Amino acid sequence: MTDQTTHLTEDDRQSAADGTLPVERRADVEAHLADCDACAADVARITELMKRTRDAMLAPPSETASLDDLWSPIRARIEASKVVSLGTGARPSNSRPLISLIVGGIAAALLLTAVMLRVRPSEPRTSATAQATPDTSVLRAVSDSATAYEAEAQILLDRLEIQRATMRPEARAAIDRNLHTVDVAIAELKDAIARDPNNPALRQLLATSYRQKVELLKRANAS
Amino acid sequence: MNARAPESSRITSAESDSARVGDAVRRARQGDVGAFEIVYRAYAARMYALCRRMTGDDAQSRDLVQDVFVRAWERLTTFREQSAFGTWLYRLGVNVVLEQLRSRKRDDTRHTDAGEWIAGPGSMGDRLDARMDLDAALARLPAGARTVFLLHDIEGYSHDEIAQMTGIAPGTSRAQLWRARRALMGMLDA
Ligand SMILES: [Zn+2]
Repeated sequence: MTDQTTHLTEDDRQSAADGTLPVERRADVEAHLADCDACAADVARITELMKRTRDAMLAPPSETASLDDLWSPIRARIEASKVVSLGTGARPSNSRPLISLIVGGIAAALLLTAVMLRVRPSEPRTSATAQATPDTSVLRAVSDSATAYEAEAQILLDRLEIQRATMRPEARAAIDRNLHTVDVAIAELKDAIARDPNNPALRQLLATSYRQKVELLKRANAS
Repeated sequence: MNARAPESSRITSAESDSARVGDAVRRARQGDVGAFEIVYRAYAARMYALCRRMTGDDAQSRDLVQDVFVRAWERLTTFREQSAFGTWLYRLGVNVVLEQLRSRKRDDTRHTDAGEWIAGPGSMGDRLDARMDLDAALARLPAGARTVFLLHDIEGYSHDEIAQMTGIAPGTSRAQLWRARRALMGMLDA
């Protein structure tokens, strides 16, 4: 049934244009459009707008080439996010119970190890020259930073040793487990860096795991 | 998130070498950042285009592209292999942009209401043309109407899907779409 005095509603016209008319409305709307030039023209305008915008919008953007430089900050954030759960300094931690810190630390250290193991060398292992001639300046920098952290860690370890006697056994065991896990991660990272000295992700992870160790010791001492 | 892939949101150009990218996605899921770079290069342009359309701003879009891929990395383990990665990523991208738009709206008190239209058609006096014109016209739409228009008419999401993503009612989505189309028709002299 077509009613020329009552034009199609906005709903009908918009739905007719984008093909979302409910089945039960289709016959009536189509009949009206066949008879009413005004409604038919309006639906055609909407359809044309949709086609026009779609054609224009789906054209590839011209800025594509310049997106390459976004990868580096993305990668940096990804590497950082891998250790965010370590909680090193991100939140004030003194108010948290020691045991939860320890458990969190274990999880973090395990994550770190897992992350480390997943990092691929930046160059193929078959490159004998890369193995034979690591970048000595990089290794020296890593070694310097490692020495500084190791020194701080040792002071904290000594201080912790004094406190051990007053600690609950489960807390003591948790700290030991945690430290062991971090130490394993550090050892593996050092080994990985020796094999792949130019991998920035490995260096960053090593620095972070040292920081993690120092943080763990600080927390343990503060508890 | 098992809804069908919206017609136009499949990232077809990137999926044309789907074997390589698919393999990269699998390796990235296992923590391989190098593989994730391949994924980034395959989808960055399309993601930028989405962000650019939704925000109308280059710098903001570049920040958002970074946010999207960092989020994608964090959520990779929730991606189910049987669903198209492009669709999954796209949806995630839409959500990241919507979050950003919402927080900007909260921060921006002079932002228009959903029902308020910015400067009327033809008020600038200059004749608009093609893509640049469309970008300019879209930029003059209120954020809510622009978002719905882009998601429905350009990206192919249904009103139910848009409602799910944005938190508005499907009926509101429809009303926003119609108003956006009418405003664009006026501005573009369609
Ligand atoms: Zn009519």
